[in-house]
Amino acid sequence: MAAENKAEEEMPAATAADPSAEQKERLIAAVKKEVKQLMEEAVTRKFVHEDSGGVTALCGAVESCLGQGLRRRALGLFKTSSTTALLHKIAKHCPEAALVSARVLAAEGAPAIRSASGVERRPSVPRPPLCKRGSGSLLSQASVQAPPQSRYLWIRIALFERQLAKIIEHLVNNANRYYERDALVADPDYGSILSSLLVGPCALEYSKAKAPACFWTDPPADELVQRHRMSAGTTTPPSVRRPILSFKRSLNASSDDGSTVTTGTGKPGGAKDYVESLHQNSTATLLYGKNNVRVQPKDVEEPMPGYLSLHQTAAGLVIKWTPNQLMNGYAESEGIDKSVYWAMSLQVCVWEVVYVHVHRSQASDALILVGQDGVQRPPIQFPKGGHLLSFLSNLETGLLPHGQLDPPLWSQRGSGKVFGRGRVRRRPMPSLCESDETEELETDDAAGDYVFRIVNNTIADREAMMRHSLLERAVQSPPRTPRRTLISTSTTSSDSSTMSVDCPPSAGINGHPPLSPLPTNHPAEQAASIELVCSTMRRQIISRAFYGWLAYCRHLSTVRTHLSGLIHPNIVPREGAEGGLTEERWQSMTDEQGAVHDKDEVYRLVYYGGVQHDIRREVWPYLLGYYEFGSTAEDRIEQDVACRRQYETTMSEWLCVEAIVRQKDRETTAASIARLSEASGKLKPQDNNDPSEVFEDDCSVISDNPPIVSPEPSENEQKRPDKPVLSRAPSIDEVDNIELDSDKDKETKLNGETDTGNNRESLDVESLKDLEEDDDVHLKSVVDNPDMRRESIAEIKRLAEGIVQKGEGRGLLCSVDSAHLNGSDFRSSIDESQPSPQPQHTSVIITNPSVDIAAGGSPASGGTTATVSPARSPLGVVREESQSAGASFDTLEPSDRHAPDTRSNCVSPASSNGGVYSNELVESFALNLHRIEKDVQRCDRNYPFFTDENLDKLRNIMCTYVWEHLETGYMQGMCDLAAPLLVMMREEASAHALFVRLMTRATDNFPSGQAMDAHFADMRSLIQILDCELYELMHAHGDYTHFYFCYRWFLLDFKRELLYQDVFAAWELIWAARFVASEHMVLFIALALLETYRDVILANTMDFTDIIKFFNEMAERHDASAVLSLARDLVLQVQTLIENK
Amino acid sequence: MSSRKKVLLKVIILGDSGVGKTSLMNQFVNKKFSNQYKATIGADFLTKEVIVDDRIVTIQIWDTAGQERFQSLGMAFYRGADCCVLVFDVTAPNTFKSLESWRDEFLIQASPRDPDNFPFVILGNKVDLDNRAVSAKRAQQWCQSKNDIPYFETSAKEAVNVELAFQTIARNALAQETEAELYNEFPDQIKLNANDNGRNRDGDNCAC
Repeated sequence: MAAENKAEEEMPAATAADPSAEQKERLIAAVKKEVKQLMEEAVTRKFVHEDSGGVTALCGAVESCLGQGLRRRALGLFKTSSTTALLHKIAKHCPEAALVSARVLAAEGAPAIRSASGVERRPSVPRPPLCKRGSGSLLSQASVQAPPQSRYLWIRIALFERQLAKIIEHLVNNANRYYERDALVADPDYGSILSSLLVGPCALEYSKAKAPACFWTDPPADELVQRHRMSAGTTTPPSVRRPILSFKRSLNASSDDGSTVTTGTGKPGGAKDYVESLHQNSTATLLYGKNNVRVQPKDVEEPMPGYLSLHQTAAGLVIKWTPNQLMNGYAESEGIDKSVYWAMSLQVCVWEVVYVHVHRSQASDALILVGQDGVQRPPIQFPKGGHLLSFLSNLETGLLPHGQLDPPLWSQRGSGKVFGRGRVRRRPMPSLCESDETEELETDDAAGDYVFRIVNNTIADREAMMRHSLLERAVQSPPRTPRRTLISTSTTSSDSSTMSVDCPPSAGINGHPPLSPLPTNHPAEQAASIELVCSTMRRQIISRAFYGWLAYCRHLSTVRTHLSGLIHPNIVPREGAEGGLTEERWQSMTDEQGAVHDKDEVYRLVYYGGVQHDIRREVWPYLLGYYEFGSTAEDRIEQDVACRRQYETTMSEWLCVEAIVRQKDRETTAASIARLSEASGKLKPQDNNDPSEVFEDDCSVISDNPPIVSPEPSENEQKRPDKPVLSRAPSIDEVDNIELDSDKDKETKLNGETDTGNNRESLDVESLKDLEEDDDVHLKSVVDNPDMRRESIAEIKRLAEGIVQKGEGRGLLCSVDSAHLNGSDFRSSIDESQPSPQPQHTSVIITNPSVDIAAGGSPASGGTTATVSPARSPLGVVREESQSAGASFDTLEPSDRHAPDTRSNCVSPASSNGGVYSNELVESFALNLHRIEKDVQRCDRNYPFFTDENLDKLRNIMCTYVWEHLETGYMQGMCDLAAPLLVMMREEASAHALFVRLMTRATDNFPSGQAMDAHFADMRSLIQILDCELYELMHAHGDYTHFYFCYRWFLLDFKRELLYQDVFAAWELIWAARFVASEHMVLFIALALLETYRDVILANTMDFTDIIKFFNEMAERHDASAVLSLARDLVLQVQTLIENK
Repeated sequence: MSSRKKVLLKVIILGDSGVGKTSLMNQFVNKKFSNQYKATIGADFLTKEVIVDDRIVTIQIWDTAGQERFQSLGMAFYRGADCCVLVFDVTAPNTFKSLESWRDEFLIQASPRDPDNFPFVILGNKVDLDNRAVSAKRAQQWCQSKNDIPYFETSAKEAVNVELAFQTIARNALAQETEAELYNEFPDQIKLNANDNGRNRDGDNCAC
């Protein structure tokens, strides 16, 4: 638009050379800007709406470019400032233009004749019926906004038809024909720039969808936050903006019974929407609207004018009253806090209303709504003159067909609806009888009181019955009073009934005119019964209100008591701690022996200011309770050494199990591959290699599969599938799964066993030398194996069979594993049962001379040198082996196979001991191992720290932990928890030690524990207390019993929500808070996260799934320091709250 | 009810950890593959609009954690599912074996109206890898034995069959959804509950 104006004013000056260059620059810049914006819009929304302002702006900019320097005179275009004529002109030569021209004519229809004056060929163009394709809405819009010629129409259409760039290109190429020499289009540079600029917009997707719903209903989280920032200009932090305990709000809300509604009115952000909702719209029909209806809200002296409206929505009728201050165009309220007014606005669902009281006096007409719960809304005062009546008649109409006013308004010929006349249909209606006998009185300014009941037909019957019996019981009404009477008493207006119903103490807000006593012209007994009924009702209403209130207060107090458990009662002062724990401070706190004593101060500093990054490695062990405060540097070194030793010991334990697992895996895989290849009818040379190689060179270093042609392919082929059968004998289910091969298996089982035995035997050898450190059993078997190998196949077979039997159903592996036990002191339980510890030891020594170092060994493992050796050898070595493969681990398994053999020679009884590495244990460790590996591999792959080497460290930490906690096992998420520790400590053993500490708290968060549910419950209470508005929203959207969107937060201590740097800070905060403010700091961080985006959540009335998606998308994009400091504030808030109790 | 109402289909992806659930979902929705995905914790979902039989439907695909012990969490997510996608890794036989228990678990937790005819789709993922260990035939057989569940061999990495599979998923889910619509009490139930909730809260909290 701006460009347009500019163009117009510049038009006369087009001849001046110098300014024109400048002008061209400006024009082209305007186009550039609009193109850029449009493209951005397209990128964020994936399409552009045809009515978008961006399109119009671009068209305007293009128009001014095209208009500049146009040779109007030469082209005979004097009369029009538009370039439309130009289009039609060039249509002859340019096919694209012709197409667009036709479309334009079609769109313009008859009125276009005037504007397109210079178009001689127009009549000849076959005009399609006004299809308005692609321009329907646009046309109407154009005719409203733009001058009648709808100036940009052709540009728009050309744009939507994606022809604009080509047309302009044509213009540029033929510029000398249509343009002055110094025109922009004629300019060699600018002209081509212009046409090429438009290529982009011409490639966009334009949509005419009425409401681009898919975008607006499902925008990405970024977009939401962005939008919020735009709309919310000056937002104060939520905690500041709202009072902590907005009791008032929730009380209102409960009486309003429309939590959605309340949240809608409560938020400033939704103000515009709300006001718009007061008008006619697609979701709600406006039945009645009247401004300057006065209502006197609570805490306000004077009745305030406002807008009263009646809406028909899907859920029923809704009566709304909005203070004028909130309505559009109320200038005075700019800049002041409107929340007060939001609290005043009324929103009443008609089905929640039972009685409508009408008080007519000379001064004004007042209407009071009484809800089912007995709660009475502030009186709504209508200006004089039939407004109230028309409101009521609209209400009555709106209630149909499901409900009605009881008594109905009396329809009167000539003057429309009037207030009912009791005599006609109902039993006596005292007030009517006495106050108006004539129609004039009724329709005009009759004073008097009426009560209408709103009857919901669907539930009316049941309810009437209920109410009735209740009343009857309470009142002991005279038998001759018919039921009907009772119902009508409540509906009939009588001064006394009105009064009694209207005055529960809680509803003292409304200013009722004092009412006269009961009229005397009624049968006394009827009056008495009415009185009775009314007093009962009053009592019931009062008591109900009271108990409701009491329950609410109790609930809140429970919540508060509960919350007090979440925080420490004493507030630790913040003064001087903002800087956090700096290196300097840390140094100054450390005494000459390297001990730090003042732990409270450390915690305090960390809590308020975090730890300086450089000393984190030093401080974290304290924070996690691994180092004791007051321990000297020496103590700590000692502790570290012991810890490392312990760690390595444990590692060596699981490493040998890992080896077993590897072998099993390999077999399984081989088996399934074999099966697969068999199934597909192919011979797999690879499969043949395995056994053949085994056969051929026993003693060579066995690398995976050197391609050696098997001497007996057919036999090998048969054997192959057997291997798994044998090895996995215990797991019958798995065998079952090998459906395809089962037949073959049976046939060759015996052979298979022998062969496998043979294979295994051959496999061990060389690579074991590397592995010796892991397990003496293996070592031993290495030593023994050579002998064994000499034994006949038959012998081995016999032994193997024997083993299977001995295993007592456990199967081969089981007994194999028990061999480990004998050899290893890690699990020393069965030492005494071993007749042959010595041979094993010897074997260790023999095979192990290079690696075995007694130094570290003896203290740690009490006798078994082997256990220590891995400790000494850099872990990397062990690692290498496990990585380097197949080979080394393969060999482990065979050695196991031999172990029984050897044992049967020397340690035969041990095999029936039931082994420590029972089959279950191996299986369960295998399962964990696979999971760990899967997760470690994909843990923070994008973080540079996690090279293969460090991932291996992580894996070791995981395995070690899991080995120590096999009953819990590995759970997804543990990797994430260990990763930052490893990043910080860089060294396995200490990272593991910290991880163990961390897990003592975190284990409970995992599905096996109970903490998660507790967290959810706590979150719920916290939100309820600290942010009722949000609470209401969550409540309104149903299943908020579980705050699943917080699941990952709690499980991983926000590790996935924040960037690494921030994770460090958040974790320190959590650890330190334990001793400073709250043991449940995670809750407050979670709450802070939620609060940070509360306005976005509220403004978009997000439900459960929306919030999950929102936070998942926002992961790692939070402003952590703000969130953390808000979390501290929230703790403080709760502390103050509890303190002030 | 009205057939013009916007259709939202809820699809749950299940399967052992590391079989490629997240990758499949992202390949389908975002048309890209990343080797940077981490193990899914909790649950996440993505939505995408697809056209099924000339109807525009929105599929809401829920990606869950693979470790079975996290499935207790799944309850909340399973509810109201229109289709369940079971994924296994063709290079890992164990992931294939556990399909059965995934299926059972889902049926128990989601308790669909008609368990026998609830739409499942099986995806054998990672067919781009060489070390395949579960034959197509075997998978196919299993699927046939389970009431002819549609089976697709996919590669999230190379976008093999992903689109096709999800088209089927959407179609079957839509069929399920339309079937569900025939039972008209469903929307009513919701409404009643909402009312009840409202009223209860009213009563409990306050009435002044």
